[in-house]
Amino acid sequence: MAKPAPLLYSVAKTFVWFAVASLLLTVSLLWVVGQDYSREWKGWQRKFMRLKYESAQAEWKAARAKVDPKEFEALQGKLKQADQDFKAKKPESKRLEREIHQIEIHLTKARARYQDLKQYQDSYKYFLEESRAHHDPRAGEFEEKLRTLTPDFESAQREVDRLEGEKEKKETEADLLKAGEKRIQKELERITKEIDLSKRRMESVRPSLVKELLNLPMLDFLRPTLQIQQVVLEDLYDDYHFTKVQKVDRCTTCHLGIDQKGFEETPQPFRTHPQLDLFVGSDSKHPLEKFGCTICHGGNGHSVSFKDSAHTPQDSAQGAEWQKKHRWHPLEKWEAKMLPLNHVEASCAKCHKGVVEVPQAEKLNRGRRLVQTFGCFGCHKIEGFEDRWKVWPSFEHLKSKVDREWILRWLQDPKAFRPTTQMPRLFHLSNTNSPEDREKNNAAIQGIAAYLIQRSTPIDLKKPSLSGDAQAGEKLFKETGCLGCHSVGDYGVNNFGPNLYGIGSKTTDDWLFTWLKDPKHYHHETRMPNLRLTDDEASHLTAYLLTLRNETFEALPLPEARPEVRDEMILNFMRTQMRLEEAKSKLSRMNDEAKLLYLGEKMIANQGCFGCHSIPGFEESKPIGTELSNEGAKEIERLDFGFVPIERTRHAWFFQKLKQPRSFDEGRIRDYFEKLRMPDFGFTDEEAGALTTFLLSLVEEPIPLEMQRRLNLKEMEVESGRLLTTKLNCQGCHLLEGKGGKVKEILEDPGLAPPPLEGEGAKVQDTWLYHFLKSPAPIRPWLKFRMPTFGFHHEELIRLVRYFTLLSDAEEPYEEEKAAGEAGPSPEAIAAGKKLFEMFQCIKCHEPKTGAALGASFLAPDLTLARERLKPRWIADWMKDPQVLQPGTMMPTFFPDGQTPAQDVLGGDTAKQIKALRDYLLHYSAEAAPVAAPPGSETK
Amino acid sequence: MIETFKAAVDNFSSPVTIFTSAAALFGLVLAFPRQATNKWVAGTGLLLILGFFGIGLTDANFKKIVTAPDNVPIVAMIFIFGYFTWFALRKAVENDRRIERGEPTVEQTETNEKVLVFPYLIFIEFVVALFYAIGLVLWSLLLKAPLEEPANPTISPNPSKAPWYFLGLQEMLVYFDPWIAGVLLPTLIILGLCAIPYLDKDPKASGFYSFKGRRFAVTTFLFGFWILWILLIVVGTFLRGPNWNFFGPFETWDVHKVVPLLNVNLSEYFWIKGLGWGLPKFWLVRELPGFAVLAAYYTGVPWLLSKTVFKGLPTRMDAVRYSILMILFLTMLALPLKMYLRWAFNLKYLVAIPEFFFNI
Repeated sequence: MAKPAPLLYSVAKTFVWFAVASLLLTVSLLWVVGQDYSREWKGWQRKFMRLKYESAQAEWKAARAKVDPKEFEALQGKLKQADQDFKAKKPESKRLEREIHQIEIHLTKARARYQDLKQYQDSYKYFLEESRAHHDPRAGEFEEKLRTLTPDFESAQREVDRLEGEKEKKETEADLLKAGEKRIQKELERITKEIDLSKRRMESVRPSLVKELLNLPMLDFLRPTLQIQQVVLEDLYDDYHFTKVQKVDRCTTCHLGIDQKGFEETPQPFRTHPQLDLFVGSDSKHPLEKFGCTICHGGNGHSVSFKDSAHTPQDSAQGAEWQKKHRWHPLEKWEAKMLPLNHVEASCAKCHKGVVEVPQAEKLNRGRRLVQTFGCFGCHKIEGFEDRWKVWPSFEHLKSKVDREWILRWLQDPKAFRPTTQMPRLFHLSNTNSPEDREKNNAAIQGIAAYLIQRSTPIDLKKPSLSGDAQAGEKLFKETGCLGCHSVGDYGVNNFGPNLYGIGSKTTDDWLFTWLKDPKHYHHETRMPNLRLTDDEASHLTAYLLTLRNETFEALPLPEARPEVRDEMILNFMRTQMRLEEAKSKLSRMNDEAKLLYLGEKMIANQGCFGCHSIPGFEESKPIGTELSNEGAKEIERLDFGFVPIERTRHAWFFQKLKQPRSFDEGRIRDYFEKLRMPDFGFTDEEAGALTTFLLSLVEEPIPLEMQRRLNLKEMEVESGRLLTTKLNCQGCHLLEGKGGKVKEILEDPGLAPPPLEGEGAKVQDTWLYHFLKSPAPIRPWLKFRMPTFGFHHEELIRLVRYFTLLSDAEEPYEEEKAAGEAGPSPEAIAAGKKLFEMFQCIKCHEPKTGAALGASFLAPDLTLARERLKPRWIADWMKDPQVLQPGTMMPTFFPDGQTPAQDVLGGDTAKQIKALRDYLLHYSAEAAPVAAPPGSETK
Repeated sequence: MIETFKAAVDNFSSPVTIFTSAAALFGLVLAFPRQATNKWVAGTGLLLILGFFGIGLTDANFKKIVTAPDNVPIVAMIFIFGYFTWFALRKAVENDRRIERGEPTVEQTETNEKVLVFPYLIFIEFVVALFYAIGLVLWSLLLKAPLEEPANPTISPNPSKAPWYFLGLQEMLVYFDPWIAGVLLPTLIILGLCAIPYLDKDPKASGFYSFKGRRFAVTTFLFGFWILWILLIVVGTFLRGPNWNFFGPFETWDVHKVVPLLNVNLSEYFWIKGLGWGLPKFWLVRELPGFAVLAAYYTGVPWLLSKTVFKGLPTRMDAVRYSILMILFLTMLALPLKMYLRWAFNLKYLVAIPEFFFNI
């Protein structure tokens, strides 16, 4: 027999284990409570309370320091005196108090009686009405009751009135006794008001034991001072795919000072919002209660921990710092991360749609302008950019402009010809840089050049009328207006059109001459306007431009490729449509020219050249790039980071893509035709950063319409015109909306600069502006800069005129104008106007013929045009104070501070004088000066 | 050193090596139960596993997968189930030894001593329940439920994994059609488990732990449980990454990993590669070889077994019970067989009838 099995149970041991379990359970319970209680945000709130208490203390001290202690003491002394005085009158005051008390007893009784009787009265009234309506015999009874009640009721009312009056009287008496003291007290309060207020503020944030108790674990459900702060946003939603929930932002739980002034220098998270007048502040355009935080900043608004709210660092250095400070790491399973602060402007575009520029969003606007300049929408569909234009020249008649060799050299590296060109480099980039790929690139370039030359049609070119003088041409270049858009090498201020350095290596004299004479002849959709050059001027300019040669470029070797490489590439394209044997036989039937043409056509389709250029044969082709309309919300997993060691974030990817478009191919084994095709624009860091912000702004997030910035009809008209002005670069020459007009810097005499267009809509008449824009005629004959003819359509002219008018908020006040027109100015007024006109010597500057005698800065527009050109109201405003409308103008102020120098005219009344001058100008014409019979006076 | 080890493990790992070595280890344990349940052997085994985890946790990928809050139960499962199996097997070995010597089994000796359920048993159970509660509380304190993104109908997570206890079924999907792996086999597992008491009426070695007395029953059950269920869950959890690709324990889960897929149907092997005739048009003719194989498997094998290993069993347990047992047993074995056919011959389906969405 084996020894008996050991006992399977032991009560004593079980008790021990029970004790252990109880202990552990207690510990785990405490742990549960502790873990539930200790929250990151509570620490921040405590810290902020301390901070607030300190600042309130400082405020209180400052307020105390402000009060003059002598004055304070004096007042207090006075108060003491008054108190003493009052004590003397104590018995009287006591008596009054007693009397008031007595009256109050009576008053209470009387009020009660009055209230009771009122109840009866109302009740009788009700029964009387009811019984009468139902012909109840008791009607008489109620009528009787009501009748007997009325005198009692009225007497009760009178009694209340009497007693109230009596009480008031006594109270006034009593107040009189205290009046002196009260006055001093008020005075004292006035002085210490600030101290008291700041003290109250300080007391409210003073740490106390009660507060500590209320914040203790298990007690903190009562009324803790540490609380999660949140805003629930009525009209903004978080999209959780299956449901939409109202946005709840709890950011202010830690960012406690965000909406309060005074924490501008405090370290985060308490810092005041840097633009409180625009965001967060209750009277700003985006108040916290209505917009919250995450709609702009992104991230997880529900969360109250640093990590889970999905903070995103601006760069890896900041990331490392956060890692140390906050144990931060990127949230893996949360796509909607915060935007890094340097790209936060991207969110503006969610609500500010349909505008050329978003107010105050400089970086975003820069990005959008770059998109427009570089024509990203040529290859990528981008919502909101559908109405844009092809940014670069048409190749319809390319044959007449450049030769094949130039294209061959250009395509190899456009920046070799023109360092500032906006044409990106397509070939010989990092992923097509191996010797084999380079040869393929060369074959492709040969093909494209052949195709472009072959398929373009020649156009009639005119010959220059004389062999021009290059020096005269250069002068013309600098004076006529070319500088509004172009530069030559380093000379110039605008880079809207191509930099013309090297143009002589590119094209011929005939083409240049024809182009300068009429750009639309070569390319009917060109944005280059017509400067109305004479044949001689055009010849001079042509001669000048031909001297601008880029000899290094001319010496560049032509791309070379063996025919086998070319054939292999062709076969590769053919293979997609037919079998290898068929392709080979087809290839063998082609001659060299046909082969190049075939390859060129395929490569143009492959590279998408037609996105920016009109190319014959590609009129219907679809752009080759990815649609970017929702790129800012693209899942990171769908971005191919390849083997590039950068952060796994959208902004890092965009930046890398823009800076080194082909780098994601690095290390990948790809066929030549499978490689990434995004060309290299040579963006600077600043440009790539702005474009990254722009890309992040492309988010199809449905924001409720009422929360969006919706444009009214007028604003839409302004935007439409603004788009046209950016398209045609009006700001190249003119100062408009605070921007542009840079040519002024480069001119020796600033008086020769094109006029600023601020307030132009208020200044000139709509009809005049329409006709002027349609075919400009000189207004300031001394200016050598010419307003070019843009060849606007009617619809564009209307857009521009509306733009200027609405921009200045100067729609024609029809009624007023009409009234003025009917009555017409009196001949006396006109005479007075003429007198003033002569007195002020207006003609001295406003006379084109004497122009030569004065510096350009002193010259002013021809006043014979005023009648047609200027808005009457503007003339008056202008005369009142020109500096207001155009700071820095040379026009003298004739009526400084509303005082006229001519006291003898029209009784020295400034308003009348201005009106007279205005009326005179509106009737002023060259042939009939000084006073032609004005149309208004004829009828009289 | 550690790097070489990790590289060696990754190189060695593949569905076939892992499955085969696990099955071999399983066979070894059951072939030498006495040695396998020896404290020192078991202790060494435990140390080896702990050592593997210890080294593994120095690797970022391994650590990330093993310590993911949803995967912790599976790690625990390996140890818990290992312990219980060891415990049962040890008792069985002990009892087998006692039976050999003609002594009463452990359970029989214990039967002689009796105490009241209350308070003795209830008290112990209560204390155990307390420890269990403590365990749950500590678990919830230490491993927080992870915050994930709101579900997005347009994006499915990659890899998309079933709850951990279903990962064995999901792993079966690699080798079988959804209707077999997801419907037929699970149903058969449940029905089969229910059927055990009706199939096995043998009172021999019943009521106590024993291995020798029920060698077939224990082996079959443990194989089904350990190899076809636990192992597949472990593989599905730790070794299947994005796109359900296989990854070594220390390999990075790369979404873009590309592996060749070369599977071929039996009909193609037979008609095209074998006979060189090309596929018949009519599906029934085309799939004849597959049907033949299945028929042979489900009729020939039971007959063969009744003549050899299970001689006399059909008569002992009667024909109906024997047939049901064989259907369940062979279906269970079909899983590893199909897996090996896939690994050895790239066999996609035995019977493939896309016309009716019916594949075996």
